[in-house]
Amino acid sequence: MEIVEMHKGPVTIVEPRGSIDTSGAAPFGDRIFELISSGSRNLVVDLQHIVYISSAGFRALLVAHKRADEAKAKLVLCGVSAEVRRLFELGRFLDLFTICATRDEGIAKAT
Amino acid sequence: MAEVEARIPNRRDEMRTIAALVEQFGLTHLVPSRIVNELNVALDEILNNIISYGFEPGEQSEILVRLSLQQGERVAEIEDAGRPFAPLGAPPPDLAGGLRERRVGGLGIHFVRNLMDAVEYARVGECNRLRLSKTLAPDEREKPGGERHGNS
Repeated sequence: MEIVEMHKGPVTIVEPRGSIDTSGAAPFGDRIFELISSGSRNLVVDLQHIVYISSAGFRALLVAHKRADEAKAKLVLCGVSAEVRRLFELGRFLDLFTICATRDEGIAKAT
Repeated sequence: MAEVEARIPNRRDEMRTIAALVEQFGLTHLVPSRIVNELNVALDEILNNIISYGFEPGEQSEILVRLSLQQGERVAEIEDAGRPFAPLGAPPPDLAGGLRERRVGGLGIHFVRNLMDAVEYARVGECNRLRLSKTLAPDEREKPGGERHGNS
């Protein structure tokens, strides 16, 4: 899985590309873990280039969120397409994550 | 009727082959991307389940995936020679719970049931056969002469 990263002030924007499925879940989760372990406390995960997330991907997202919480880091999602949002709804994940409509909103929330 | 199939070893690092097959089949036959993605989620869940629970550790086997467009349907069939696997008998997932309590057990089958229009399972001899299908919308049905009109 390709993961593009950018910085805006203290915020790290993580942009995974492709799908967070069985193949993509581990590289994605590992990268979030590395970022948090190395001190990132303000994370925005931009999902605009993600076409689908399977349960393996949601497990990785849940673990990432828990790790962020434990490290008192902020983890915010943005770029959720209508199709991907439907998967969040099916899994009843909408209440568990902070999902922003735009990346700028995400950056503000994560700061 | 259009059909394509592939066999993969029962290993997670081989699953990407099937995702690519679904994408290519979708492109070739103008399947809307939403349907392609839903099929890929369902197949990711099923294949992961088979690989995780269907065999003894280290047991080498193959999984067959067949994709087809039949009258009014897009179909994915999965055949494997692993342990009997009855997805329809699985308990529903626990979707309650805050961040700390949430588990994802059962979520995969929940996705499969909700994303697919029909899920059929049969145990045939030593094989599991699973059939997933998505019904084509009325304006996507194949017209005489093979011409098809559809929208995403």
